[in-house]
Amino acid sequence: MLKKIVPFACVIVGLTSCSLDDDGDDVIIDEIQIENPSSYTFERDGASTVSFSGQTTRLRMGDELLAAMMDDSSTLEELGAMYAHEEGAADFSDADLNASDKNLLTKTAASVDYFSTNSAEQIAIRADFNSWLQTQVEEVFPNWNTVATAGVAGQLADGASTRYVNAQGLEMNQVFNKSLIGALMVDQAINNYLSPDVLDAGDNPDNNGAGITEEGKNYTTMEHKWDEAYGYVFGQNADAANPNADLGADNFLNKYLGRVEGDADFAGIADDIFQAFKLGRAAIVAKQYTVRDQQAVIIQDKISTIIGVRAIYYLQQAKLELEKESPSYGTVFHDLSEGYGFIYSLQFTRDTSKEAPYFTKNQVDALLAQLLGDGDNGLWDVTPETLQDISETIANAFSFSLEAAAN
Amino acid sequence: MKRKVWYVGVLLASLFILACSSDAMDDGTQQDDGPVNVSFDRSAMLRNWADNIIIPAYTNFNTNFNAVVAANAAFKADVSVNNLVTLRNAWLNSYQDWQSISMFEIGPAEDNDLRLNINTYPTDVQAISEAIANGTYGFDLPSNRDTKGFPAMDYLLNGIAATDAEIIAVYQDTNSGQAHLDFLEAVVLDIQSRVSTVATAWTSGYRDTFVANDGASATASTDRLVNDVIFYYEKFLRAGKVGIPIGKFTGTAAPNTLEAYYSPKNSKVLLLASLDAFQDFFNGTHFQGSAKGESLASYLVALNSVKNGEELENLINAQLENARDSFESLGVFKEEIESSSASIADAYDQLQLVVPMLKVDMVSAMSIAVDFVDADGD
Repeated sequence: MLKKIVPFACVIVGLTSCSLDDDGDDVIIDEIQIENPSSYTFERDGASTVSFSGQTTRLRMGDELLAAMMDDSSTLEELGAMYAHEEGAADFSDADLNASDKNLLTKTAASVDYFSTNSAEQIAIRADFNSWLQTQVEEVFPNWNTVATAGVAGQLADGASTRYVNAQGLEMNQVFNKSLIGALMVDQAINNYLSPDVLDAGDNPDNNGAGITEEGKNYTTMEHKWDEAYGYVFGQNADAANPNADLGADNFLNKYLGRVEGDADFAGIADDIFQAFKLGRAAIVAKQYTVRDQQAVIIQDKISTIIGVRAIYYLQQAKLELEKESPSYGTVFHDLSEGYGFIYSLQFTRDTSKEAPYFTKNQVDALLAQLLGDGDNGLWDVTPETLQDISETIANAFSFSLEAAAN
Repeated sequence: MKRKVWYVGVLLASLFILACSSDAMDDGTQQDDGPVNVSFDRSAMLRNWADNIIIPAYTNFNTNFNAVVAANAAFKADVSVNNLVTLRNAWLNSYQDWQSISMFEIGPAEDNDLRLNINTYPTDVQAISEAIANGTYGFDLPSNRDTKGFPAMDYLLNGIAATDAEIIAVYQDTNSGQAHLDFLEAVVLDIQSRVSTVATAWTSGYRDTFVANDGASATASTDRLVNDVIFYYEKFLRAGKVGIPIGKFTGTAAPNTLEAYYSPKNSKVLLLASLDAFQDFFNGTHFQGSAKGESLASYLVALNSVKNGEELENLINAQLENARDSFESLGVFKEEIESSSASIADAYDQLQLVVPMLKVDMVSAMSIAVDFVDADGD
């Protein structure tokens, strides 16, 4: 018994005190050393074992789809095909994306932990994404050159920018974008690839233990699964080995990791996530799965924090503008459209003490109904009190304060 | 004993600054290290701003813009090089006048997004061509703000063809000439109507609202307008007129983003006009006059603001003059940028040096909170 506890205690001390710094000091557990490199660089026989090209591909598909949502000549068929791309179809401007057998739809609400036996919610969530594309094409595009008013889709000024909203004041491109961060990037990273059910599936532990790589590849399946989680966070950074040098490299999770890192109340979160990914990956190489799973918990916590913080941030920013004497509705709606997507994404977060999302789908649906429910015209009618109320509800579920997230 | 010393200090201070808060004397709750309250009449400053600077600037703009409307009508009736030159001169006059009101994006101007509606550049030449061809302009749409205003006129009067004779030919074309004239007229009238709306709002109610809101909260007129003019200085004067064109923020020079890109010698004229207007506002100098009223400068005098042993208002004025000297010595901005001249980058630095004095030293002396941050994008 004691023998089991001692190595565990060593790791805890190592993690919470000084032995893990940027230089990647090694961690010693019960005679077994985890070689923790200073960057996310792992090799076997002199060649890299790190691979997450499939994640990078999906991030780029997302970029093209978002751009197409803002081109009012796009058809619903075109947008739908970009979302549910099939190998070889000429859906994108990038030939590599067209050739890919990957797509966004089949990874939406698709994690093993949350959706393997939850088809009903998976179907409902995918229907939401399709409905946002449909609203953009059928409601917003026809009013592209109309000034939006309560109950009428169209465009609004937000400072020097122009925002295109539906009749309820929602920007569908923002709703789609920010909801996809939860439903795809977060869900896949923390509820799928970091899950022991995925990492340890089938023969993975045996193969990883024996150093048996996938056919034609230089990595074990377990190594690759971990890297796929990493790819959803860092898949478009210039230097994959040291990704935090250019935070904000995509339109998805990485961008908002950068934003939360920029909030003094949360500074350090980017390095915390990076260090946990790195040590966890090193632990897989060293076959130290307890350490691996401890790092997974850290990542799950921190990534969930990003979603909670940004949901509150946008609600509070919108509230500030809304309380002005003559608020700019374009500014308010832009913030709230982003906020809507981050609230939607809360159902994909993970409270690691409960192994469950901070808000269930039903709770999220209720928050979104509340956001649009102050009158007949959705955001046109929303009150500062409602924004405050939703903000408090979210903050109460997390360990950080509303004030910390608000600025 | 300590308290006694403090009272002496207050008495002494009151001899110099005329008054100190009577509350501090009476209620006895003020701490020893509490602020010494300086008496400065913000209300007098607001009156000076409204009555001697802002409203006269609007009035002047409207008067002079009548000349643009008239010159445009003459051009439309008789398309000739002479009439083009007359219209162009009137346009440039009014574009300079605009620099005296652009910074006052408060109240009715803010409600109407005046600055973005009047002076968004670079102008969208392709969208302008489409609007002319279609005959529908959509000037109320936010997405069309880059198809109108002074920058669109710059293109229509200076850039639509290479020479005056060729420009005339565009407007004389039997097929499309009339459509071009109609569009130009619509641009002119859109400017007139939008500025008039704001000017009228100032003289029919907003002036009194503005002056009456003379407190010291975040929503008081002083706090708001100080924020608005600093924002203007930083984003529109410094970044818009110089920083973005020289590639300060991207590393890539973008001369096409210059104000008055189609009449390049005017970029400098407009920058200097805006710098003059800004400095006059800072000093409370009456519009087109030499008399001065209460101002940010006199407020700093009252506060006895000193930085590195020098009066802050003198430092700000001296640095604004350094910046002006730097730009005056430059050639045509477009050519400076295209020849990668270091001089315009140096001049930019002179403009930039004013920013911390305004945004840090001045506002903290006045206890004004800066309410904008570097744009978050989304």
